Amino acid sequence: MDLVVQAVVIGLTENAPLVLAAIGFYLLYRLTGLINVAYAETVTLGAYFGMWANTTFGLDFYAVLLPAGVLAGLVSVATYLLVFRPAKRRNVGMLELIIISFGLSIFLRHALQFVFGYPVRFFDVPPPDTIMVLGVGVASFRLLALASVAILALLLYWFIQRSSFGLKIRALASDESLAQASGIRPLAVAVLIWFIAGLAGGLAGAFFGVGSSVAPLLGWRLFLPILLIVLVGRAWGLGGVITVGVATGVALAGATLQFGQGLYAQLLLILILLAILKIRARRLAAAGGVAA
Amino acid sequence: MNLDWLDAFLVFGLFEVVMVIGLALLLHLQLGLARIANFGVVGFWGLGMYAFGVSYVRVDWPFGEPWQFLVCALIATGVAALAGLLVGWYVADLDTDGVLVGTLGFATAVAILATTQQELTGGALGMGGLGFPYDIGTVKANEFLWLVITTLLVAAILFFVWRVHRSPYGRLLIAVGANEPLARSLGKSTFRAKIGLFVVTSAAMGLLGAMFGVMVRFLDVLNLGVDITLAAIVGLVLGGTARVWGAVIGVVLTVGLFDIVVQVYLPLPREWHTQAIPVLREALFGLALIVVLLFRPLGVLGKMRRDRLMKKVHGR
Amino acid sequence: MAADAAAGSAVARPQIRVEGVAKSYSGRTVVDVDELVLGDSPIEGLIGPNGAGKTTLMRMIVHAVPLDRGRITLQSPAEPDLLLSAMPTDRIARHGVVKSNQLITDFDRLTILDSLLFAVTEAEREKPYRIFSERAVFARHREEIERLLDYFGLVDATAFAKSAGEKKLLDIIRCLILKPRFLLLDEPTAGLPDDITEKVMHTLRELAAAGTTVVIVAHDLNVIWNLCDEVVFMAEGKALLRGDPQSIREHRTIVEKYLGEGHV
Repeated sequence: MDLVVQAVVIGLTENAPLVLAAIGFYLLYRLTGLINVAYAETVTLGAYFGMWANTTFGLDFYAVLLPAGVLAGLVSVATYLLVFRPAKRRNVGMLELIIISFGLSIFLRHALQFVFGYPVRFFDVPPPDTIMVLGVGVASFRLLALASVAILALLLYWFIQRSSFGLKIRALASDESLAQASGIRPLAVAVLIWFIAGLAGGLAGAFFGVGSSVAPLLGWRLFLPILLIVLVGRAWGLGGVITVGVATGVALAGATLQFGQGLYAQLLLILILLAILKIRARRLAAAGGVAA
Repeated sequence: MNLDWLDAFLVFGLFEVVMVIGLALLLHLQLGLARIANFGVVGFWGLGMYAFGVSYVRVDWPFGEPWQFLVCALIATGVAALAGLLVGWYVADLDTDGVLVGTLGFATAVAILATTQQELTGGALGMGGLGFPYDIGTVKANEFLWLVITTLLVAAILFFVWRVHRSPYGRLLIAVGANEPLARSLGKSTFRAKIGLFVVTSAAMGLLGAMFGVMVRFLDVLNLGVDITLAAIVGLVLGGTARVWGAVIGVVLTVGLFDIVVQVYLPLPREWHTQAIPVLREALFGLALIVVLLFRPLGVLGKMRRDRLMKKVHGR
Repeated sequence: MAADAAAGSAVARPQIRVEGVAKSYSGRTVVDVDELVLGDSPIEGLIGPNGAGKTTLMRMIVHAVPLDRGRITLQSPAEPDLLLSAMPTDRIARHGVVKSNQLITDFDRLTILDSLLFAVTEAEREKPYRIFSERAVFARHREEIERLLDYFGLVDATAFAKSAGEKKLLDIIRCLILKPRFLLLDEPTAGLPDDITEKVMHTLRELAAAGTTVVIVAHDLNVIWNLCDEVVFMAEGKALLRGDPQSIREHRTIVEKYLGEGHV
């Protein structure tokens, strides 16, 4: 029982940013149908922007959150306007788009080192207060991370699923020409989605960065878990992604506590989620919906 | 300039080029022909490397060289082939998203296992103890001979790929990549074809990994990152995904440019070589992928030109 | 026609039995066939208005579309009651049930010669260790391929199929070269010039006389009346009428009444 409580508390507070990143990735995936590998870099850049604002202007962590997110959002929009939108115009196929996003991820990951330097960087923040939650010590900023993620997730859920604008986004995702005919401006909506996705990723990056370190591989290390969470959770929409994300976060924490080793926990989660995806694909195929 | 110093780097640079050409050629069969996006190349290559290294160092073989090398190389190839069977089975009936996450997940799993199984692999600290299956004098001489052997191996892979294009097997792979449902409607077992392809190509990737392990005589988990996958993909895409020689030309223009021209011949400050050059290399590789796929997706060599090939092969 | 039918029925002819088969999309029933046997006659036609479910039914037979319920079996003396609806499309094709494509589809990177060689090459030759077998494969099938290409006027086999008509024709020739036991054709002559249509019809008659059962879905009624020994009329997902072309034509009034505006 103790392990479960610990797993839940740690899982929710430490891995809340993972859920946030998954939400941002899901938004993009839902709108474009594309797996954007470069999304990992919006997470990384969020950490870097936050660290930069923190160390350059001496702002405290909570003050840099907004700039970190906004700048990451702008980078996300820039990648859409400079790379993905032109690619779509040239009728680049899905496979090639994924490879392009892979190239973009590599490019951003290394170009940022010419701006922010090669060594690992750190936020300059005082040690956080430890708050006891259900007998588990939790750093104060992590509670804020959890609270922000919960609020943002709810906001985004309401926004996408319930608001009229969200309806426009979902319409755009399913049929662009039809959506356009209904008076929705695809460019404006697309830019907004890419911005929100970048914002979510950037905030997640800032939370991850302040808790450990800011390094070029920060986002890439999270990419596979994010991708798995979204591919598994998407069957149940945004709510599914959030649920699978939370479950994964808790499971990771629990497995790490059990094995005493974070890598084993990651490996286990990867294998479980891959298995779920395969089983689901098999079931679809048996029902006759064979891809080939 | 100290020429001896130059030579060592040149030998290693050439080795890198040859090895990545081998990987890119195998990737050409998967990605260029059958249109399977293997983002886990490093997984098969690294698994072969580590299977070789672990069996070489950790097992007390009752015989000496070159048998020890040959047996361990066989083990490496076999392990990689098994991995190819497993991953091939996993991705055979999945769409592009599934292939991406399956191959990437596999590569990540290999990296995690190599890092955590410290008693076997040396973990994050790495493991030495690998050596050449011969000794012809100096280290440089040994390395050069190994370069020649690896080049022969990659030449064999090139010959195989060249023959595949001119065989019914190649036609099957191209059909699977062009229109899998249509191929199935004609009675072809496309899943089995894809699995078979993965077994064969993964085995070869594993063997190349073993060759690399011998060359550097050290197992390092840092090699299990995404760099080698990137090098193979960029080389293939730039040279021409659909052509036999695409891998060769593309890798020479990318890895060759950096690991030989820049690394060995350009008179740049020494400090640049430790960080700036490698980072620039990756950044430019990434940029090259974007630019090529946006403006000339079929790379330097362009279309497959099957009509020319068929005329050449069948006369009519 | 009658003589052909008599000769054809002397050969053991496979049948496809469709039982209790249904398919709906978003609540709309597209196919609902209680019982239908295809293959009583060498060449059968399947006609009906747009949306009658003809194409969907054909796709369900080769399992390109999943069944909501029911079963489809292949009946032949060697293998009675072969459950097609439990098999993937490629296995069904290997059992000799092949369908052409209604929509234009092709291997865009393969030449015409490639396409035909691909269709006709045995699986054992298509292995990674058989990288020297191209000559042998070509030699084995050359005559047959050349005959077909010459007959249909496809002059340059090492070119790609470019026009929609060429791709359509190639699709049919691919099916023909497989020598299936059961050939399903969906709009085989749509978009083809008249002389080619004649040649396709002639080839189908030969194939049927040699023992293949042919089922054709077509809107071109000339093809149906001239070619088919029997015609099935479908509407709203159901198989409503069955008979020889003459009686179906006479039922035209029912057909027209069903459609409202007349021409099917």
